[in-house]
Amino acid sequence: MKSNSRIKDPGIILTIVLVFVSLFVLIWWPTDIYLMGISLAGWLMFSTYIIWFLLAAIYVLWIEKKDENNE
Amino acid sequence: MQVMETVILAIYLIGMTIIGIYFTKRAHSSEDHYWTAGRSINSYVGAFALFAALASSSSLMGAVGSGVALGIPFLFAYGFGAVAILPFTMFLVSGQIRRSGVATLPEFFKQRFGNSVQVVSVFIVVVGMTFYMVPQMTASGLIGSYVLGIEYKTAVIVLGLGCTLYAALGGMWAITYTDLIQGALILIGMFVLAALVLFEHGGLSALVQDALAAAPHFGDVTQPWLSYFGLFLAFLWFGIVSPSAVMRNFASRDARTARRSAMWACLLYLLVFVFGFVVAAGGASLGILDTLENRDMIFVSVIEHYMSPVLAGIMFAGLLAAIMSSADAMLLAISAGVARDIYKEYINKEASEKTVTRIGFVVMIVASIIGILIAINPPQLIAIMVGWVGGFLLSSFGFPLVLGIWWKRANKQGALAGMLGGAIMFLILVITEPFALVSEPIIAAPVSLLLTIVVSLATSPPSEEIQSRVESYHRDQKAV
Repeated sequence: MKSNSRIKDPGIILTIVLVFVSLFVLIWWPTDIYLMGISLAGWLMFSTYIIWFLLAAIYVLWIEKKDENNE
Repeated sequence: MQVMETVILAIYLIGMTIIGIYFTKRAHSSEDHYWTAGRSINSYVGAFALFAALASSSSLMGAVGSGVALGIPFLFAYGFGAVAILPFTMFLVSGQIRRSGVATLPEFFKQRFGNSVQVVSVFIVVVGMTFYMVPQMTASGLIGSYVLGIEYKTAVIVLGLGCTLYAALGGMWAITYTDLIQGALILIGMFVLAALVLFEHGGLSALVQDALAAAPHFGDVTQPWLSYFGLFLAFLWFGIVSPSAVMRNFASRDARTARRSAMWACLLYLLVFVFGFVVAAGGASLGILDTLENRDMIFVSVIEHYMSPVLAGIMFAGLLAAIMSSADAMLLAISAGVARDIYKEYINKEASEKTVTRIGFVVMIVASIIGILIAINPPQLIAIMVGWVGGFLLSSFGFPLVLGIWWKRANKQGALAGMLGGAIMFLILVITEPFALVSEPIIAAPVSLLLTIVVSLATSPPSEEIQSRVESYHRDQKAV
């Protein structure tokens, strides 16, 4: 992998996605809206759990696919 | 004294010790086996091992305690960072560190930046991991004092020393294989407890309403925004900067196994936080928070209230299991730091494997005694203490490590400035408390980043050899 292609590295791309999702939650931060008596800011953080797992699965499959193509 | 719980706990601890002793021979057969289990762990064992190392007493008792004491969004913020630990680590560093061929974080710093950075990093690892023993010891003391009906102080000492002995005997082999059992116990225990809580309250919606009736601020964001952001950052980076978690990654058979282990461990960790939400709501609905001497005891109260003595005994065994596996991984990181990275590297290069392993043993005992002494009077909630450790390691290691992997121009001077500057800034902020709780890394980590970049650019670039080594970290995903 050449240094100028690092921006296309799956790890870097998925890190950028992770940062954007986090920023969305932390910037919006809707503390005064409530769902089931719990602040929406809390629910947003809770909903990221599944996103983090999906990102992990995408990374694993992506790298394995890359390996197959390299062979 | 809770007789049934005590019996189950005793059977469990004896079983774990036997496993530890069984693996002793195997562990001591070679130095590599002792530290990284011969790099031959498969992806299922690896997933549970990684999960159990991350799901510390803090994930269970601390997260639930903080969710009840500070409102459930605080627990959600904990998971917001913590569930992302493994994906984030995988994206940025784990493959590259594995390809570099080193066995510990300080070894990587030596390879990339040279001896002085390694020595500073070992010092930071030892300080960070020793303090990290405190929340583990606090949690084991709380459980032990409740179950055995003994004084908290005595429980901290007895359980702390027992755990150390077992870690020291077996090294990574014993830790990894007992982690498989411990990981399963934590998960099943949390699942059963959450199911019982839901059943008693008649579903999630009714449970949350009961929690709100007993604790009106349960659903609120009670702390300043900075606290949630700081907690998120400290946990997000934990896998990258925590030497114990990184070491787990090396114990996998190959890169593919390491990645799959991390992915499944992420799912297991996610489930623990979902169950933790239910358990915290059950705890809040009891309405007893103000009557507890230590707010982290709420988890123990939930177990006592919702479970039969037999199930409670198994659950306490699961909790102690979580504590032991985390504490063991930390002790191993501390002893690897001193015995391998300092003693063998700089003091006695000719030292035999046996001598290095024995020194590691002594270091473990000393570190656990320091941890026990601080835990006798714990300074904060468990979740906050763990947040401090994560924040400290992030502020010192985070950017020198990531830039060391991804930026060829990062050099020794930059790494040293970033590490020391970030660590010192973090400690100043913790001591002077100018901002909200656990918000220190929001300031200290960017200071470290800036120092690493500015000082690197202001001094001469690394040699051609080092620059081409950085390229090799990113070459050929399969060749490890």
